[in-house]
Amino acid sequence: MSLTINDVVFAFISGLSILSALGVVFSRNMVHSALFLILTFLGVAGIFFELGAGFLGLVQILVYAGAISVLVIFTIMLVMSVEVGKTNLPNSSMSTHLWGAYFAVLLTLALGASIWYSELPQVRGLAVSDAVGSLAGLMLGNYVVAFEVAAILLLLAVVGAIILARGVEEE
Amino acid sequence: MFTTDLYTINIGPQHPSTHGGLHVEAVMDGEVVKDAIVHLGYVHRSVEKIAESRTYTQFIPYASRLDYLATHLPTLGYVQAVEKLIGVEVPERAEYIRVILGELSRIASHMVFVGSLAIDLGATTGLIYCLRDRERIMDMFEMSSGQRLLASYMRIGGVITDLPEEFFPAVHSFLDDLPKMIDEYNGLISGNEILQARCKGIGILTSEEAMAYGVTGPNLRASGVAYDLRQADPYGIYERFNFEIPIGQRGDCMDRLTVRIKEIEQSGHIIRQALKEMPVGEVRGKVPKVIKPEKGKEVYHRIESAKGELGYYLVSDGTEKPYRVHVRAPSFVNLMVLPSISRGGKLQDIIAVIATLDPVLGESDR
Amino acid sequence: MENWFLNIAHWLTSWLVSLGLAPVWADLILLVVQWTIIVGIITLNVLILIWLERKVAGFMQERLGPNRLGPFGIFQTIADTLKLLTKEDIIPSQTDRLIFKVAPMFFIIVAVMLYAVLPMGQDMAVVNLNVGLFYFISVGSLSTICILMAGWGSNNKWSLLGAMRSVAQMISYEIPLAFSLLGVVMITGSLNLSDIVQAQHNIWFILLQPVAFVTFFIAATAELNRGPFDMPEAEQELTAGAYTEYTGMRWALFFLAEYTNLVAVSALASTLFLGGWQGPFLPSWLWIILKTYLIMLVFMWLKWTFPRIRMDHLMSLSWKVLIPISLVNIVLTGAGIELFRWMGW
Repeated sequence: MSLTINDVVFAFISGLSILSALGVVFSRNMVHSALFLILTFLGVAGIFFELGAGFLGLVQILVYAGAISVLVIFTIMLVMSVEVGKTNLPNSSMSTHLWGAYFAVLLTLALGASIWYSELPQVRGLAVSDAVGSLAGLMLGNYVVAFEVAAILLLLAVVGAIILARGVEEE
Repeated sequence: MFTTDLYTINIGPQHPSTHGGLHVEAVMDGEVVKDAIVHLGYVHRSVEKIAESRTYTQFIPYASRLDYLATHLPTLGYVQAVEKLIGVEVPERAEYIRVILGELSRIASHMVFVGSLAIDLGATTGLIYCLRDRERIMDMFEMSSGQRLLASYMRIGGVITDLPEEFFPAVHSFLDDLPKMIDEYNGLISGNEILQARCKGIGILTSEEAMAYGVTGPNLRASGVAYDLRQADPYGIYERFNFEIPIGQRGDCMDRLTVRIKEIEQSGHIIRQALKEMPVGEVRGKVPKVIKPEKGKEVYHRIESAKGELGYYLVSDGTEKPYRVHVRAPSFVNLMVLPSISRGGKLQDIIAVIATLDPVLGESDR
Repeated sequence: MENWFLNIAHWLTSWLVSLGLAPVWADLILLVVQWTIIVGIITLNVLILIWLERKVAGFMQERLGPNRLGPFGIFQTIADTLKLLTKEDIIPSQTDRLIFKVAPMFFIIVAVMLYAVLPMGQDMAVVNLNVGLFYFISVGSLSTICILMAGWGSNNKWSLLGAMRSVAQMISYEIPLAFSLLGVVMITGSLNLSDIVQAQHNIWFILLQPVAFVTFFIAATAELNRGPFDMPEAEQELTAGAYTEYTGMRWALFFLAEYTNLVAVSALASTLFLGGWQGPFLPSWLWIILKTYLIMLVFMWLKWTFPRIRMDHLMSLSWKVLIPISLVNIVLTGAGIELFRWMGW
């Protein structure tokens, strides 16, 4: 199998995502971590594009890279009171290391097994003609109840957040 | 449950909208101003001290630098104080010239106010329109004295020289265009929705608080107190003119703006009356070459400057130099209400409040 | 004249293929060439645009504007650019250097990325993406992060305030922006910008969706951080907001990116509401340029007339006025489309 442009692009994008994901973990500065997280999101979006799921990739950019990461950064800025360079220090206790390693192995096994044993249908070359339309059909058709319940849940969360924030003024 | 940290930001002394070397230390909670501390003195030139080492006449140019936006008014106040001290008669024509130039200065100052409020709220074009109209006043000042900004035109016992011939057509055409200019300000600046939203109900100064702080001038009148020294304690020949004192209702930024726009109109009326009644004759009274007031004599004279009550307190020790000159600068007093009326507002409100208090720093740091 | 650029592109690809290159690589080279040309045009256009903005401002304020360098002062911006390029690059010592340096670059990259899907004429989009409109909105949202990076990296309270304002503003205004575009998308039934232009063959969408156009225009002004919504910069309050600590070329990059965004959003507005590249007599690429400039002149007119709105008024305008209006617009549009179908038109 010869190397195609797609493979090169995939290698580049996934390399970028992995490197920036490592950056999230290893940065000492939490704001840097958050910014690396944005790069990771962008890399994931790139993989979506690579797979022909343009809409999902754009949702990834709009929601994760554009909005959620901003919230993450805001939260970090708001609660941070120590020096910026020491906000994301590695954990020193041995037991946490062991627990971490344990969960990492578990996660790798679970993910690997699920990929290994599931039968992935061959999708390469099958272009989805109306991806947005079929997504919309699923969201507002078959799964409309779940979709609306999630929306109401988010609305409640927003109202709750407003009530919590208003509480400050009364004090 | 939650607490937020307060932080301070320094608005000024180098900041685009502090009108000179004003420094406001704002204690902020997010965008909300919790407290504002005014720091003055960045342009302190010890003008009062300088006066003690100059003769009475030599101080006139220094006085014009107090309020450089309304150059004739601080000099007028000073020369009238000296005249009161030594008892000089001022010729009729000189009195009228003083009124005309003084009211023109007031218009110029208020035009700068309207324009700088506009630009402080982000409307660049408003500033340029106001400065365009003020330019015509500056041209008239140049005709009369050769100086545009700091015309030391007033003299003890009158004015330095009669107005030139070309001054009169200029001032007449200016007065004819004045209603048009005011219409333009009302349309572009005070009639703008965004500006109204940013000025109405912002920085409310109640009449009680204004009087407690000693606020004077348009800021006091915007709070609903019809107190204008030109009518309350007339100096010069002001009791001869008919004019209204525009007052506001709520004392917010919008009232401070509209009061000043109306005052521009009223000043126009005064100038018209003065031009009509102006007699011919001398412009300088009989003043001794060397001014030596009686020893121990002191005098306080106050005028309604563009910013408020501008008072001069002179003490003589019998020599040709004053023993003490104190300037009661309206900007200084007016600035003192800034913390109390900007508390609880937004950061953007404090900019509007500073702009509508109309401080001129040459005067408050004297 | 219509097919000038397409012919050049065809000629370039066929020449590259005749040299023995695989068509894939030829396409790739074509993409790079297109991209370089777009960046070049953007930069040149910004030079003209800044000159135009100063001239428009001068006209509105009864001034002359730049008039010394070249005819009508047209070279003034070039001189300014040279000045900015030769200025000392100051990075304050307490900044977060990495973020401080990267922020302007990311900002300009994001701004240029917007041009990928804009149809500059008939068949003249760099990428004819089937979710082009959505691409524009989601990539445009990334500029928030760049301003946030600039504000945070500067380690200055004014900058941070500017950045915070910018983020709050952009997140609020993305919603009415996207909602106002939904009406157009519903009528067309496609997110592809070329399809949307084609759908306006008979009637421009500004006539079918006037409310959407107004909400889009207001929201776009806020997204672009232009007056009266120039919160993040807000010279009179925040000195220069998020850009306070930037000097020389780094600052110029922000400036460049803002104008690049302005052109992109104006081009989007003319694509969605003014029939895009469609028009009689003139070639399609000229039509889009004319329409884009028309929209930009309106942006300039607004900027030089209005005072700056207050931050909380800005937010309530978005949440209490624009979002409900655009939601109602969506419902009405849907009802209208159903009515049309029912009537069998």
